[in-house]
Amino acid sequence: MTEQSLIDAESASRVGTVAATATGEVNRRDWQRWAAAVGDHNPLWFDPEYARAQGYRDIICPPLYLQYVVLGVTALDGLRPDGSSGAASGGLAFPRAPRRMAGGESTSFFGAAYHRDEIEMVRTIESIVEKQGRSGRFVLVTWRTVYRNQRRELVAEATTSMIARP
Amino acid sequence: MAREQVFYEDVHPGDALPTLTVTVDERQLFFFSAATYNGHRIHYDKDWARTVEGYDDVIVQGPLQAALLARAITDWIGGRGRLVEYAVQNRAIAFAGEELSFTCVVTGKRLADNTGLVDLDIAGRRDDTVLMPGTATVALPLRGDRS
Repeated sequence: MTEQSLIDAESASRVGTVAATATGEVNRRDWQRWAAAVGDHNPLWFDPEYARAQGYRDIICPPLYLQYVVLGVTALDGLRPDGSSGAASGGLAFPRAPRRMAGGESTSFFGAAYHRDEIEMVRTIESIVEKQGRSGRFVLVTWRTVYRNQRRELVAEATTSMIARP
Repeated sequence: MAREQVFYEDVHPGDALPTLTVTVDERQLFFFSAATYNGHRIHYDKDWARTVEGYDDVIVQGPLQAALLARAITDWIGGRGRLVEYAVQNRAIAFAGEELSFTCVVTGKRLADNTGLVDLDIAGRRDDTVLMPGTATVALPLRGDRS
C-alpha cells in the first residue's frame, strides 16, 4: 500500500524559490528594549565609549536581535486567530499536516550591525522532505535566510526549520 | 562597566561557563513579545493557552529561551569576544514562573587565520530536562594581540 505524501504538489513546487524578502532599519532603541526584556545589559549594546574601546565604531546590535530588524507591520484583521502574523513561513501551508512547530535555527554571524544600518533579508525555501519519526510521519521544511547591509556586506546567514505534522 | 576579558589561551575543553539562572515572569513574557512584535496568544492569554492550544499556562517564547542562552555566552566572552555561530533546537516548552538555567561547556578550540575559535555545547534547562540543546562557536582574542 502506498501512503499519500504529506507534501502537496503546490508546496513541493516551491523548493528553491524565495519565500520572503524584507528590509528594515537597525534602531538602537528597539534593540535596547529587546535586550532589556532579555535582562541583557551588555555594555556593547548600550555604552558607546565601552564599545569603541573594544574596537567598534559605536554600540552594536545584539546578534540575536538582527532577525527582528526586518519585521513588517500586520493589520489586526490580518492576524491569524492565534494572534500570530504567519509571515515568516512565506505562507506555506500543508493541508495534510496542519500542526506546525518550530524546529531549530542555526546562524552564522559575519559582522556587526550598527544603528541606522539598512538590512535586507532574503529567505529561500531550501528543502521540504517527509520523514518518519518516533511519533509518526512529519514534514521537515528548511529555509535559508541571508541578511545583508546597505553596502551589500553579508551580516548573517541562517538556516531555519519547521516541522508540520498530520 | 568594567568587564574582565577572557582570552583564547585561558580556555580549555571541559571548562564550564558561569551558569545563567532566570525565572521568567509574565511581565518579562509581555515585554519580550512586545520587543519582538509577537502577537501569539499563548504568551499572554491563559484561557487561549489552556482551552485552544492545550497548555497548562502561558509559555515562555522559544526565542526568549534562545536569547537567554546567547546572553550566557556574550556575558562570558567579553567586549572583544564575538559570537560566530549559534545553533539551537526547540525541544520542550517552559511555563512562566519556572526556574530555567542556561549552561555552556567548552568542547574544543582551534586557530583559524590567527583567530582563536572556541566551540561550545549549550543548553537551556529546567532541572534535568533539556529544553533547548545547541552548539555555538565564539572568537576570542589572543593574548598579546591588541589590535
